Amino acid sequence: MEHKSVLIIGGGIAGIQASLDLANRGFQVYLVEKSPSIGGRMAQLDKTFPTMDCSMCILAPKMIECGHHPNVKLLTYSEVKEVKGSVGNFKVKVLKKPRFVDESKCTGCGICSEKCPIKVPNEFDMNLGMRKTIYMPFLQAVPRVATIDKDNCLLFQKGVCEICQKFCQAGAVDFDQQPEEITLNVGAIIVATGFDMFNPEQIPPFGYKRYKDVITAMELERLLCASGPTGGQLVRPSDGKMPKSIAFIQCVGSRDRREWINNAYCSSICCKYAVKDAVLIKEHDSHAMITIFYIDMRAFGRGFQEFVNRAKAEYGINFTRSNPGEITEDPETKRLTIWFEDNVTRTVKSLTFDLVVLCTALVPRKDSAELAKTLGIETDNYRFFKSPDLISRPVDTTVPGIFACGYCLGPKTGDIPDSVTQASAAAARIAEVLAEVTKQ
Amino acid sequence: MKYAFFIGCLIPARELGYEISVRKIMPLFGVELVDMENVNCCAPFSIQSLDYASWLSLAARNLCIAEEMGLDVLTLCNDCYESLLMTNTLLKENKELREKVNSVLATVDKEFKGKIKVKHFIDVLYDDVGVENVKNAVKTPFHGLRVGVQPGCHLTKPKRLHFGERIGIKALDELVKATGVKSVDFERKEACCGGPMRGINDAVALQVAKQKLDGLKNAGVDCIVTVCPFCYLELDLGQLEIKRHLNVEYNIPVVHFAELLKIAMGMPLEDWEIRSHKIPLAKVLEKMKEAK
Amino acid sequence: MDEAKVGAFPARARADFMHEVANTPRGRGVLLCIQCGRCTNSCPVARTTDEYNPRKLVETVILGLRKEVLLGNLPRYCLSCFTCLDRCPQGGDIGEVMFAIRNLAAKEGNVPEGIIVQAKNLFETGRVVTPTRMALIQRERYGLSKDISIGIDEAQKILKKTSFVELISKKV
Repeated sequence: MEHKSVLIIGGGIAGIQASLDLANRGFQVYLVEKSPSIGGRMAQLDKTFPTMDCSMCILAPKMIECGHHPNVKLLTYSEVKEVKGSVGNFKVKVLKKPRFVDESKCTGCGICSEKCPIKVPNEFDMNLGMRKTIYMPFLQAVPRVATIDKDNCLLFQKGVCEICQKFCQAGAVDFDQQPEEITLNVGAIIVATGFDMFNPEQIPPFGYKRYKDVITAMELERLLCASGPTGGQLVRPSDGKMPKSIAFIQCVGSRDRREWINNAYCSSICCKYAVKDAVLIKEHDSHAMITIFYIDMRAFGRGFQEFVNRAKAEYGINFTRSNPGEITEDPETKRLTIWFEDNVTRTVKSLTFDLVVLCTALVPRKDSAELAKTLGIETDNYRFFKSPDLISRPVDTTVPGIFACGYCLGPKTGDIPDSVTQASAAAARIAEVLAEVTKQ
Repeated sequence: MKYAFFIGCLIPARELGYEISVRKIMPLFGVELVDMENVNCCAPFSIQSLDYASWLSLAARNLCIAEEMGLDVLTLCNDCYESLLMTNTLLKENKELREKVNSVLATVDKEFKGKIKVKHFIDVLYDDVGVENVKNAVKTPFHGLRVGVQPGCHLTKPKRLHFGERIGIKALDELVKATGVKSVDFERKEACCGGPMRGINDAVALQVAKQKLDGLKNAGVDCIVTVCPFCYLELDLGQLEIKRHLNVEYNIPVVHFAELLKIAMGMPLEDWEIRSHKIPLAKVLEKMKEAK
Repeated sequence: MDEAKVGAFPARARADFMHEVANTPRGRGVLLCIQCGRCTNSCPVARTTDEYNPRKLVETVILGLRKEVLLGNLPRYCLSCFTCLDRCPQGGDIGEVMFAIRNLAAKEGNVPEGIIVQAKNLFETGRVVTPTRMALIQRERYGLSKDISIGIDEAQKILKKTSFVELISKKV
């Protein structure tokens, strides 16, 4: 039966789509996700461009379908440790990290989080909001099961507490849970591990982390989201007030060939998400002054240029073709000054903003090289996974039977629809390849 | 530790206080400075604007002299530093270029071999002497004194030339702080002083300096600390010119880092040294005394 | 000069000028420019005067306006502070390109008076700044050596071997 089993690494939109496609064709799918819930980056987004659909509204049904599908086995909070064998017969070792909550018993009622006394920054909210040390990363998490963050838990660190255990009516909290090694036998593998956001601290003149009101686009996304840390209120981190003037800076870490950054590529989605975020802000506050500083407005794809045109004409968003070199902060008012060249007068000017959003590059996952080694697949010089033939086999990797989809393949894949398309393509490739292997 | 001492043109002609301070301090840290004989101008940016081969050959000749001495070069001036460091790096990396320059150097019986390093006085203090030792040598730490550090451009820029050697201006800040002072952040700290614009467009030069002085004034510093002789001139003498032409008065004293360190190590400035500063030092020297 | 100001655009433009700059030492970065303007936004001079804008100057080079660039004095406005070298996302080294442009301008006889003075000083004394008599007296008084050893002859030999002497005797 092993030819009918498949491993998918990464539970974002690409991994979810591939899982559903294969599961619906009768394959047994093992979906391994590192974090406590599937959902990935798309779960963190407020709206998707250019249709301004609610991101979670599209994603959540797919997540739930994945969670309930008889042919999908979710292995969340788990990591792939070892892969041996070849197409048609891979032996995979997966490490299931202890979440200290029995998945079969937890009802997801949330009383444990409510009673837990320790608050820590919530990674899902880009550390802008807080969560408890026993938590579900977000409301629509799948599986709907709590996880204890051992590094911050009072019991594990100081030896006292156990409050969550006392309040859990299902008796699901299990402090003695051990790491579990699971061995799987699968015919093929899909890698869909997505991307990390570029850390703009690598470009010190932008003052990220030095200036509170310089934030990344992903942080803005959480601030704009109704389920985010501020309930969808856009506020300046420094004083909690609503920003009246906002600047977006494009290509932060993208198209940057400097040797200590080495991201020559265009990340391909930042222009689009910046315009989307700008429009969203305008919908929050029609009086907000918004300027997008860009190098080239790369709004290719169906509906995007029209979207940009609307952003200018209907929403009054300013587009300035000038790439700022630095941001300075007034130590008292915390307002941020940007120097730029006015496109019409061609003179150098400065403007002061309440909030500056850095549209940071999408970069390979920190551990992508390690995963590539585990899988035996090759990466390109940026550490994105490599296709042996970009034209005729774009979702293959350099190892037969291992496929990839989504942004882990690099910036040639643009947005969510692209990732979904690739996921279906990878699923179809698996069906094809495994049918071939079975015949032999 | 022994270094081939490349003093440059400007310092021995106009900033004797800087020279004397360095000559007094460095031996106390066990750094011996051996004056380079028979050198020529480093070929600063003004000369580089004329001709590429002239620059590289003049700079390389100086490097050859240090190679013959078997010593790494120590410079005090940011311009000398950048010119010699760039030449040294380019010629070490590029064989073709090295051969071309060596064909010019043959006329003066020199050959660039690429055997030595070029260091700034700050590099030597930071890398060889170490911040801890500098701190230990300070007899009277000036706690409470607020200084604005003017690193100058070519101590740290371009990054790729200095990469791995020091962590930008942080190293200089650490050394300055070793004297007990507070190094205050100010707007335009990493920017140019405007000096190179002298003789091209003096009005613009003053405006560039003014941007910086505005930042320093807003930060409320007691004095400016420089390491480059050109920055020193631009910020010290420049204040008088800004007063004359733009009618803005700052009155912020400017001292070389070497002078600050010398005083902190218990060697007060002589009268002539104090007088050589255009903006009177009295105010800041008084504060230094109070700090004790 | 006049021709450069009044001539019709196509007649003035020299299509190969960008490559002339690129093929001059330190000029290669001009080929990398994507006109993003980060050099301008980082430039301390561009903030103080509308005359100078490094992005625009490179644009003029790309457009092939050779005379405007080489016979004007805008390339001299660059302070060589090298902020743009660290900031240019393409590694275009605009501050370095300025040296290529200035070297080409020097070949056309366009060198500012101040630089001629320094260059002559260098040729005659081996250094660009010479101490005044007063300074030498002071040196002695404060216990510094009065003789600063300078290799004038050797410097002259080198400068005669390169095009230095020829360049400083040329005037527009």
